[in-house]
Parts: sequence; structure tokens; C-alpha cells
Amino acid sequence: MSLDTVATLVFSGLTSASLLFLVAAGLTLIFGAMHIVNIAHGSFYMLAAFVVASLTQSMAADSTAVFWLSLLVAPILVGVLGMLTEVLVLRRLYGREPLLGLLATFGLLYLFEGIALIVWGGQYRSIPIPHALQGHVQAVGEAFSIYNLFVIAIAIAVGLFLWWLLQRTQLGWRVRAAVEDPETLAASGTNVRRLFTAVFALGAVLAGIAGAVTGPIESITTGLDAQILVEAFIVVVIGGLGSVPGAAIGAVVIGLFETAGVIWAPSFASAFIYVAMILVLIIRPSGLLGVTERVG
Amino acid sequence: MMTESRHSARWHDFGVPIVLACGALAILVASFLVAPQWLFVLQDIVAFGLFAVATNLLVGYGGMVSFGQAVFYGLGAYVMALGWQRYHAPFWLLFVLAPLIGAVAALIIGALALRTREWYFALLTLAFSQLFFTIANRWYDFTGGDNGVFGPMIPSTLAQPRHGLWFVLAVSFIALLLLWAITVSPFGLTLRAIRENPQRVEAIGVNLRRHQLYAFTLSGAFCALAGTLFVVHDQSAFPGLFQWTQSGEPILMAMIGGMNYFLGPFVGAIIFIVAHNYLVAHAASAWELILGIVLVLIVLFAPDGLLGLWGSRASGSHPFMLLRTVVAAMRSARRSR
Repeated sequence: MSLDTVATLVFSGLTSASLLFLVAAGLTLIFGAMHIVNIAHGSFYMLAAFVVASLTQSMAADSTAVFWLSLLVAPILVGVLGMLTEVLVLRRLYGREPLLGLLATFGLLYLFEGIALIVWGGQYRSIPIPHALQGHVQAVGEAFSIYNLFVIAIAIAVGLFLWWLLQRTQLGWRVRAAVEDPETLAASGTNVRRLFTAVFALGAVLAGIAGAVTGPIESITTGLDAQILVEAFIVVVIGGLGSVPGAAIGAVVIGLFETAGVIWAPSFASAFIYVAMILVLIIRPSGLLGVTERVG
Repeated sequence: MMTESRHSARWHDFGVPIVLACGALAILVASFLVAPQWLFVLQDIVAFGLFAVATNLLVGYGGMVSFGQAVFYGLGAYVMALGWQRYHAPFWLLFVLAPLIGAVAALIIGALALRTREWYFALLTLAFSQLFFTIANRWYDFTGGDNGVFGPMIPSTLAQPRHGLWFVLAVSFIALLLLWAITVSPFGLTLRAIRENPQRVEAIGVNLRRHQLYAFTLSGAFCALAGTLFVVHDQSAFPGLFQWTQSGEPILMAMIGGMNYFLGPFVGAIIFIVAHNYLVAHAASAWELILGIVLVLIVLFAPDGLLGLWGSRASGSHPFMLLRTVVAAMRSARRSR
């Protein structure tokens, strides 16, 4: 294979890895802090994509400006939705059987999908690439889409921001402490309930950012939630539940794997990533960067 | 809480076979009375009820949250459909073969998946579900790909709705009795003990993983059997049968009815399928929304399911009150003898 084909392959793999990382980072943060496998996490992604579709469609006059605006509005909206979810539903389940959290978010998956179906209907929607981000960049004899570069840049920026947030701020210190030992953190005076609300909202915002930028790449439909959810699960499990760097590694692995699959065995591309996950878990039952599980 | 669960376990010891027989009889009578389209709904309920109870052997009794039971359900359906159409195998042979294939697949997948625990186990079984979905969806030469397998695939006499219902009912009845016998056997009790306190059970010398693997294998066999009943009911097999959402449905049904009750998942299946049929006919777009709201409300306010609500009401107009009284009277009569 020539160098430029490899470059195109890697580039396209990194684009889907970027979206996957954003969704998986929120999923893994939420799991790490509150031990909830959030089955409704893909819904935040899907709802944000629908919000952007609605905004750019209804105000078509200057689509680029509206697009920038909706990139801001959609994640904030789903962040608020995440906050409501945590306060109204999940907060009542802490300290109870872990299975209940999983089942509640399973119910929320249907709830959010129902809302999307009623508000936006079942048909496919697509968002055009905004003016400023159209076109290609030439390098190593290949054309790279500017929009895809933009998505990768967003993922890297958000990833760096998360690193800064978790490693360099008070909030991040508390979140990391919650992942390690929520009881001691609560005893040392942190309002763990409020912290959990913040973490859940942050997770929703991350999924929302991915959903907001995905419009020009994928056509938007109600099946989007379950689709990204399964891939994000795989990323998180491969990286190790609760680990943000693990999510980054997992996303790149899966993004590249999937693209390689598309090239070599187009029909069975998605089978590749399931096999990858099954292999990783059989060899390392807690994922690549996963710590040994706690009971409970 | 303690006395309550002991109480319900006790009346279930007697109640389950009786309720099962009464239910089967009621459906048999209904098969002569209801409109033809209801015969299909009843078939659907009975087949899916078995799937839900078989899944709950793992989730409710064993505490193993598997999002992969659709693998065996789908396998059962595909063995039936492909065996009949492609290899012209006799129906009865396929009918015996499907649960065996389900058991073997479950033994292999279980041996791999049970290396992990809790969330990793749930997500790994989910990945197996998606792997089978992808293969069924794409392997056009063998499975027909996303077109699935349609057309006649059962003896013509069973294709008649009433006969089909009788068949599905008889198989499901026997299978549920077997499953019930498993749950009250020493093995079933050990399984429940593992769910409650794995460390302690291991400390008294029980091989934890072997018991879990047996449960996974048994559940897989019965899920595959339910898959064959799906074929009798629907006369088709398609990739969606393998999807993780399909794996999730029996768990949702178990949750609606009550996971800690043997027949809880079956009650959940009745409610789920009747509600689904009604809403799809009358308010199609509201189905997901209403299902979601109901599930969240159940988790928050009735985590033990609808049977849990019933069971916790100590006295008053209990629908099973009469039955309970009879059973209690029978027991004390026997004890005094």
C-alpha cells in the first residue's frame, strides 16, 4: 500500500476516533465517578445532533453563523438535560443495587428516543458543511477535508481541556478523588451529590459536542443513539472503565481498526471491532488502562 | 424485607406450577374465543415470556446481567429457518437441535465472558450480541443478510394460528416447568446464594464459576428454544433478533414484572407485548416515550416490579389471595397429618 493511501486511511480513522473519544470520555467519567453504565449516553449525542439540524434548517439565511451558534447551544442544552436527569432520576439510586442505575438509564434511552421521534420524526436529516469549513487541504499528494480536520482539532482541544480540568483544578482533583474513594471524599467535606451532578452534566456536554459536530459527517436519525453507544462502550471497555486516557487510546484503536476493516473486509467491518473488544477483554479482563474493579 | 421475601418464596414454591397450569388452561380456552389476530399476540406473549424467564435465570437468579441472550434466541430461530429452507431437515430434528446448539454456543461464549465480572461481563455479552448481529446481517450467502429468511419454514399444520398457539403453549408450559424445577433445585438455590454473597459461597467450597457457567448454558438452551417458538409464531428469522436491544427486552420485561419472582418476567412480557400492540395500532409514535417513562417510574418507585407491589401488600383484596389461602390451608393440612 502506498503512503498516501495509508495517510487517507489514518485520517479517516482519526476523524471517527475523534467523535468516539468525545462520547466515550463522558461515558467513562460518569462510570468512574458514580459507577453508572449510562445506556442513555448516546441519546445526548443524538439529541445534540437533532438540535443542530433544527437550528441550521430553520435559520438558513447565514448557515455558517448559525452553525457556530448551534455548536454552542446544542451541548449546553443537553448539558442541562443531563443535569435534570441526574437530579430527578439517578440521584435517587446511589447506594442502591447497581443494576437499578443501568435499568433506569435503559428506560431513559427509550424516553429520549420517544421525545426525538415525536419532535423530529423518523426521517433522515443532513447538515451541509458550513461555508468556512468547506474544501480540502493538500498534503502527501492527498486531499484532506477541512471539516474533518476541524473535528479532529475539536477533539484534541477538548481532550487537552479535560486533562487540564482533571489534573490542574480543584474540581478535577475532587472528581479523581470520587473515582478513587467517594466515601472518604464526602467525609472530607466535599458535596459529593453536587459533584456528581456536575460530572454527569459534563459527560452530557461532551457527548453533546460530538453530536453537534457530527451533522455534516453522518446523516441524523433516531437510530444514532444506539449505534454510537455500542461503539463508545467498546472504546471505554478497551481503554478500561473510568479512565479518560484509556478512552483516548481506545478511540484511536477502534477508529483505525474500523477504517482498516472497511478497506479489507467491507461487509464485516463492524465485526472487527467486536472481535477486538472480545480479545482485549479475554486477555485483560479490566481493559488496557483499567484498574482492578471494586466490588459494588 | 427479609420476612417478606421469605414469604413470597414460600408461596411460590406451590404457586408457580398451579398458576402456570391455570394460565395455560386460560390461554387454551381463549384460543377458541378470541379473534384470529389475538391468536398471534398470544403466541408472541407465550414465546417471549419463555425468553424472558430464561433470561431471568441469569439476571434475576444469578445476578449476571447479560446483554447477550439474543445470541441464543436468534440462533434458535436461524437454526429452525435455515435448517428447514436450506437443508430440508425435518421439523422435529431442528426443534431438538436448536436448544442443543444454543447450549453449546452458550457454553463457549459463557466460558469466555465469565472471565470478566459485573459491568465488563454485561458489555462483553453485549459485544457478542452485536458480533452475531453483524455476521447475520452481512453474510448474504448463508443467512440471507439483512433480508433475513422468510417464507414457509414450519409444517403447514402449525402454520394454522390456533394449532401454532397450542404448540407454542405446550412447549412453553413444559419448558417453564423445567426452568421452575431448576430454580427450586439445590443448584437454583446455590445460584441465588451466589448472587447474594459470592465470597461466602466460595468460602464454603462451591465452584463459583462452574455454577455460573452451568446457569449460562441452561439459559442459552432455553433462550434458543424460545427462538424456535418465535419462528413458529412469525415464520421468519432476521438479523435484528441478534441485536443488543433484543437482548435488552427480556431484561426490561423481567424488570416490569419483577425479577425476584419466577413468573415476574412472564407477567412483564404480557404487559409489554399487549401495550406494544395497542400503542403501535393507536399511537405509534408514543410507544418509546411511554415505555421509557414507565421503566423509569418502575425503577424509582417499584424496583421489585409489579409482582413486588402485589407481594408487599400484606392483606386486602389480593388477586392471588384466594389461591394463597388455599395453598396455605393445604400446607397446614398436610403438616398436621
